[in-house]
Amino acid sequence: MAIRRSTSDLTFRNWVLEQPEGETLLRCYQCGRCTSACPVAAIDNSFNPRLFLQKILLADESLAEEQLVWTCLTCEQCEVRCPEHVKIPHLLILAKVRGLVGGNIPQAALDRARGILTGGRIIMVNESMLKTRNKMGLPDLGQPPVDQIASVLKEIGLAKKLEKLESVYGGEGNE
Amino acid sequence: MTKTVVVIGAGLAGIQVTQQLTDLGVTVHLIEKESIIGGLATHLGRVFPTGDCALCLDACEELFDGHHRRCQYRSLLTSKKNLKLYTQTEIKSITEADGKISVSIKSHPRYVLLDRCVVCLECINVCDVEIPDEYAIRGGTRKAIYRPISQGVPLAPLIDMDHCTQCGKCVEVCGVDAIDLEDKAKTRTIKADALILATGVEEKIPLNLAGYAYSESDDIITQRELARLIDPAGDTNGQVITSSGDDAAKVTMVLCAGSRDLEATEYCSQACCTYSLKHANMLRDKEIDVTICYMDLRVQKASNHYLDLARKKGVKFLRGKPDKVIVRDGKPTAIVEDTQTQQRMEIESDLVVLASPLSPLASQSEVLADFLGEYGFASRVIKEGRVYACGTATGPEDIPTSIAEANAIALRVYADLEGGR
Amino acid sequence: MSKVKTYTYFPGCMIPFRLPHFELAARAVLKKFDIELEANPGHACCPEPTTFTGVDFEAWVTLAARNVAVSETTGLETLSLCSGCFHTLAVANHMVQEDENLKSRINERLKTVGLKVTGNLIVKNILHVLHGDVGLERIKKEITHPLKGLKFAPHYGCHLVRPLEATHMDDAEQPKWMDDIIEVTGAEVADFEDKMSCCGAPIMPSDADKAFTLTADRIEKIRASGADAIIVVCPTCYTQLETQQKKATAKFDPEYSIPVLYLGELLAISMGMKDMVISNARRYHRVKIGPLLEKIGGAA
Ligand SMILES: Cc1cc2nc3c(=O)[nH]c(=O)nc-3n(C[C@H](O)[C@H](O)[C@H](O)COP(=O)(O)OP(=O)(O)OC[C@H]3O[C@@H](n4cnc5c(N)ncnc54)[C@H](O)[C@@H]3O)c2cc1C
Ligand code: SF4
Ligand code: SF4
Ligand code: SF4
Ligand code: SF4
Ligand code: SF4
Repeated sequence: MAIRRSTSDLTFRNWVLEQPEGETLLRCYQCGRCTSACPVAAIDNSFNPRLFLQKILLADESLAEEQLVWTCLTCEQCEVRCPEHVKIPHLLILAKVRGLVGGNIPQAALDRARGILTGGRIIMVNESMLKTRNKMGLPDLGQPPVDQIASVLKEIGLAKKLEKLESVYGGEGNE
Repeated sequence: MTKTVVVIGAGLAGIQVTQQLTDLGVTVHLIEKESIIGGLATHLGRVFPTGDCALCLDACEELFDGHHRRCQYRSLLTSKKNLKLYTQTEIKSITEADGKISVSIKSHPRYVLLDRCVVCLECINVCDVEIPDEYAIRGGTRKAIYRPISQGVPLAPLIDMDHCTQCGKCVEVCGVDAIDLEDKAKTRTIKADALILATGVEEKIPLNLAGYAYSESDDIITQRELARLIDPAGDTNGQVITSSGDDAAKVTMVLCAGSRDLEATEYCSQACCTYSLKHANMLRDKEIDVTICYMDLRVQKASNHYLDLARKKGVKFLRGKPDKVIVRDGKPTAIVEDTQTQQRMEIESDLVVLASPLSPLASQSEVLADFLGEYGFASRVIKEGRVYACGTATGPEDIPTSIAEANAIALRVYADLEGGR
Repeated sequence: MSKVKTYTYFPGCMIPFRLPHFELAARAVLKKFDIELEANPGHACCPEPTTFTGVDFEAWVTLAARNVAVSETTGLETLSLCSGCFHTLAVANHMVQEDENLKSRINERLKTVGLKVTGNLIVKNILHVLHGDVGLERIKKEITHPLKGLKFAPHYGCHLVRPLEATHMDDAEQPKWMDDIIEVTGAEVADFEDKMSCCGAPIMPSDADKAFTLTADRIEKIRASGADAIIVVCPTCYTQLETQQKKATAKFDPEYSIPVLYLGELLAISMGMKDMVISNARRYHRVKIGPLLEKIGGAA
């Protein structure tokens, strides 16, 4: 996985730095402790968090299109060991977000997002689930306020973004 | 009138500043908590940039020639009229009144009278108590009456009362009545014009350092411990052996093991890159395979030849900070990414050596707390005309820098006390 | 005995609908300590922190902050039984605390629904409540059926513990609170390699095979410790280690299996509510816990 020439305008890097906690990127020594700590790197040599950060530092947007970033566990083992507390999994999350533009997203992630937007939950609640709760004597939890979700997300435009992605993927699947 | 200065800490910096001031006619009370002077230097064996014995860095009476060598062992340190050395002495309080600074001290008993002992060492021979030697790495022992190292000044032995059985054999054998088992602690207060902190640093014991398993294996050691293994005067006679007694054939060094780490020690300890190189070269001379895992090498210009030498001698450099050292089949194994080849490596070795941070000793003393700044280090001039610091008490540094700083502070204190510059 | 303490209960999606026996056990155990959980209809999905973050981080933190804001209106401390939800709420709460820009951006959005987030909410997980609020002494008093002679492997899971600045847990690498609770039940804590390693679940959607490799490694290391069961807090870890166990262990030993118990179930058993656990065992435990319960049988 070679480092590509950086985009001359540094957009990717600058965008990351503007995000919450994105500037922790600049503390990276490139020491590689994250990579030697990472359980995914241990079983897949092409998964290399240090190199991922190097790509962001060099504004190499190819990282965002890399399917590999989605195999980060967000387990934070790297971050715990990083001498500079770089928010590594968070930076990879930002790369994922960036990559969506190019359609790099697992189907299940898309479905969960759709579930949250339409039902306020990542799973479909059915009758039998409600019955079970009832039988167990567990209280009714009501319906999540979907309208509120839509309202607070309006400015971010997530609904539109999802529609566009779903058209690329050809609609919803099952989780 | 003669001015009086108290210097706390008789490491190389404290000794140097004391020598300079006493040569200038100032009376100096030099206070050391250990039983011998020299501080860290007593552990090190040979030191960069010249490869001399660390104890040879005492500068004696000639002025301003900080880097010349004269053995501490043969120095005038204990015989100068205007120099009073107190070992095994702790600072009880420091107060300021009427333009003077009062330092109350408590000297713990040595049980061997310095003005009598002729250092025949008969007493050590007859003592039956044997306990682990603090300077030993591979199980060496010492007696209850002992000398921490053979060149330690004062040269006379001392008794470790925590382990002495009061059998009286040493008293009996001593031909000059130098041993007094009833010796008592002494307290006194010194009124001085100025105070200098030369309290130095210690190498952190990395017991709680995440990842590097220091407490799990005696084959995971620090650079100071390696220095003891290499030192011909150490308990292995300079043989670099593992905990099972075999000659080490393969050694991996981890630099910045706790330094430059927000979770451990934030600052760079400055000297460890170079002394790790020094040790690596010494190991290569014994044909031991050496790999140094580093983030970046911070070597002072004056010591750059150690780096060149290391390359020539075939020390392997691996750019990458290991995540962890694990003990596998009894052998320490470093897990590290070689960031140049992007390969995840598992390096099995006989010894893993950690460059553990240098941390300030002054911060262990409540009495000194008010004088300290960030991370427990002091600034050179803590209070104009009163309180100063030099050597590694002001921040981690190597010996030449510590000595140079001691020289500078000696002049500064002299000028400030004598009212002119 | 003492008076009842109420927490705002953040249910999330997984526990109430997929694994309601978690909620049942937790409520029953907490009741013994005079603790009530009160749900709030304003809450929605936390949202989950492993994939939605990567869809739109800004949306994730906004929705999470909305849940935090809803909790703030209750004036109570919030308890989430699910580690994912806990992590989301705690991290969002912490980010809002630390980042004024983010906070005002979010509050602009929350204004449209009449909510406001301050970042002052106290978000807790079950270990905070059991170990901190209730205390080991009090728990000990309720242990009527000590689990002597058994050995359990505590699997904390990543999101319960990390990042410390947001989770306020005891240690990021060697957490002890669950160990302490296991010991209070009279059982022994198994000592195994890589205490904090991940169950593998987060990457099931993107690379199931890799996920199973990690799960298998996890279980293999636990096996080496001779544990009788794995104890979990998180429903996602549970699902991975429990329902996916067969697929994972196939990688090293298809014959091997180990029961997985929810911490609440473990406490329920040791507090004399074994029947409740048994009644749900068949439906919710794919790895049979019968033999384990028999082993406990003598005591409980
Ligand atoms: C493994 C290792 C190898 C090294 N190798 C080299 C090398 O090759 N070349 C080189 O240039 N540098 C080397 N160094 C660095 C070198 O040791 C230091 O720069 C130097 O010894 C510092 O001297 P100092 O006088 O400032 O402090 P120290 O040597 O630490 O002396 C401080 C003294 O103050 C005393 N003290 C502290 N607090 C009190 C108190 N409250 N009351 C009374 N007394 C007190 C201590 O007991 C000690 O004796 C090495 C360091 C290490 C750890
Ligand atoms: S461990 Fe931290 S500093 Fe080192 S390369 Fe990884 S992110 Fe950068
Ligand atoms: S958070 Fe991601 S990059 Fe970091 S150790 Fe876990 S899997 Fe590896
Ligand atoms: S104390 Fe006595 S016996 Fe011991 S070294 Fe000194 S003179 Fe010799
Ligand atoms: S009196 Fe103490 S120091 Fe002397 S010989 Fe006996 S045990 Fe050793
Ligand atoms: S001197 Fe070298 S080894 Fe020591 S802390 Fe600094 S960079 Fe690390």
